[in-house]
Amino acid sequence: MLFRPNPSLGVPIYLQLMEQVKHAVETGALRPGDQLPGIRPLAEELVINPNTVAKAYRELEHDGVIELRHGAGAFVTAHGARGKAADTVRAAQPVVAAAVERLRARGLTDEEIRRLFEAELAGLTRTGGQRG
Amino acid sequence: MADAPVIDVAGLQKRYGSIDAVRGLDLQVPRGSIFGFLGRNGAGKTTTIKVLLGMTRPSGGAARVFGLAADAPGASVEIRRRTGFVSEDKELYDFMTVAEIVRFTAPFFPRWRRDLEERYMRSFELPPDAKVKTLSRGTRTKLALLLALCRGAELLVLDEPTAGLDPAAAEDVLQTLVVHAGRDETTVFFSSHQIAEVEQIADRIAIVDRGRTALAGALDDLRESFRRVQLVFDREAPQASFRAAGVARVRRQGRVLTVIASGGAEPILDEARALGPVSVDVGPVTLKEIFLETVASEE
Amino acid sequence: MLWYKAWLETRWRFVIGLAILMVSACGTVFAYPQVMRLMPLASTVHATGELGRRVQEAVELAREYRGYIWSQWFRQNLIQMWTVFAAILGAGGLLSQSSGGGALYTLSMPASRARLLGVRAAAGLGELLALAVVPSLLISLLSPAIGDSYSPVDALVHSACLFFGGAVFYALAVLLSTIFPDIWRPLAIALAVAAVIAIGEMFVRDVWPYGIFSLMNGETYFRSRHIPWAGLVVTTAAAAALLYGAASSLERQDF
Repeated sequence: MLFRPNPSLGVPIYLQLMEQVKHAVETGALRPGDQLPGIRPLAEELVINPNTVAKAYRELEHDGVIELRHGAGAFVTAHGARGKAADTVRAAQPVVAAAVERLRARGLTDEEIRRLFEAELAGLTRTGGQRG
Repeated sequence: MADAPVIDVAGLQKRYGSIDAVRGLDLQVPRGSIFGFLGRNGAGKTTTIKVLLGMTRPSGGAARVFGLAADAPGASVEIRRRTGFVSEDKELYDFMTVAEIVRFTAPFFPRWRRDLEERYMRSFELPPDAKVKTLSRGTRTKLALLLALCRGAELLVLDEPTAGLDPAAAEDVLQTLVVHAGRDETTVFFSSHQIAEVEQIADRIAIVDRGRTALAGALDDLRESFRRVQLVFDREAPQASFRAAGVARVRRQGRVLTVIASGGAEPILDEARALGPVSVDVGPVTLKEIFLETVASEE
Repeated sequence: MLWYKAWLETRWRFVIGLAILMVSACGTVFAYPQVMRLMPLASTVHATGELGRRVQEAVELAREYRGYIWSQWFRQNLIQMWTVFAAILGAGGLLSQSSGGGALYTLSMPASRARLLGVRAAAGLGELLALAVVPSLLISLLSPAIGDSYSPVDALVHSACLFFGGAVFYALAVLLSTIFPDIWRPLAIALAVAAVIAIGEMFVRDVWPYGIFSLMNGETYFRSRHIPWAGLVVTTAAAAALLYGAASSLERQDF
């Protein structure tokens, strides 16, 4: 279910992993109470550094998505993503779909659309034009 | 509680005749880390590794492994007792069979792991009676890896472990390294010029260029602190020099000014905006770009 | 296991060498009846100079079986072939191509360079000792087949002289192989040195009768049953010094 992160994206692997887990929780692939793979087995399966998995799990715990039970493992929390009902995410899907359709209608390719979204999300600053 | 680094190199120098292979190299490898040692061919990676293992004596500086001096013959034997090594060319004894070279190696290491030996003989599919010289490069690499891993070593030193391997074999090698790293606090130190594999499994890196360490640190920290700032102008981009610290590179191409900043975008954004660009884009920088910028910056 | 590796590396050279020497030993023994038959003709051969003198001497010695074995086997066949094998076994050095390219692998083992060299040298010396003793004892074993006998004690003394006298050539080859990475140059140089010494000894024989090759063939023991202790101590010490030099040379090298 969890697939290999892409190390060359420029986005840290632990963030990619966190996104995968959050996405799995939001779509219901992972339900509250489900156990996540252990840090070491997951690292070995995805062939990534165990510390990276550990960091992702720590951050997910901090975000309230999972809880790390001493000795037992990592489990999805009862309320999944903190405060965010899965419904909110599902409700947002048509918004994204509409935006993508509009951009496509303007003649943008999927690749351009993807880049715009990524740029927007990766902590960019966009300033308006300063005409000289 | 600060743990002494497993590998501690300070100001290492090595000169071969008139060639300075290593010119003041520094390196600290923490225990339990997977450490990627990146550099172009001829940057000094292999020489450094040979110094660590006592195969080459330094011309200057100090190299310590497990706190022991790498250039003292007695200490070097002790270092090698606790270290597994895979050389760049994976040269083993051509005239021996797989079983024979295992039988040769095992008695040197009192902590030899027979369970790992059996496991890897099977999972690497190593034919015990095949002569080493008949093995393909991938199989030889796996054999070299087995010989290094079964020693019960605290440190694994690998010089270009996946060089010349097909993706599946390379992934097997990386997975084996991930399995072993951190287990019993094993440290993995590998040199490579395959950026992708370093990004995949390393948690710390050092970039070495022309015999010196150009950049070193935790990979996540480096990825977070390197930013590309792209300024687009409605005219020819101005010649700009940035006074802010941490500017690795400024490139002008037509109406676009690209700045690679190593200390985050914030320090240069004010200066950037003052130039009057039409748009300012801040984005991440991949390790490959960090590497290329780092080794090119002197040209 | 370093002894195991040394054996695997040198076993074919050793086995082939042993086979050749054993066949030569047989040949030497079984040629004797033929030699005896040709004896009356020998006095009709006249050669001049040093060569002639040696031929004459060989003929004289051959009248008696012990003399024949000494002049044909210990002073000729064995000493020549054995010296060549000493150079061959020594030159396939620790870190040369003949070890199949695994020099770095060997150096990554937790063993000091002195130990690496020491084990290899000791294994080679053991093989050389066998190459001297076994074919010589074979002569004692086979001699009754032609109706003669050769004392095993003589065989052992002569082989010991050969070994302790000639170990220097082995040690020289080992030293050279720590200097040159290939096996040809150490082999060629060691053999050249041996050849030069051998020829030189032949020519200065009248002025200076002592020489390493006469030590190796045990001439003193043959003629007077006195074991040449002094000479053997000198050559053994020289061999040890050369091996020590090889270890130092190895210690200082960068790989």
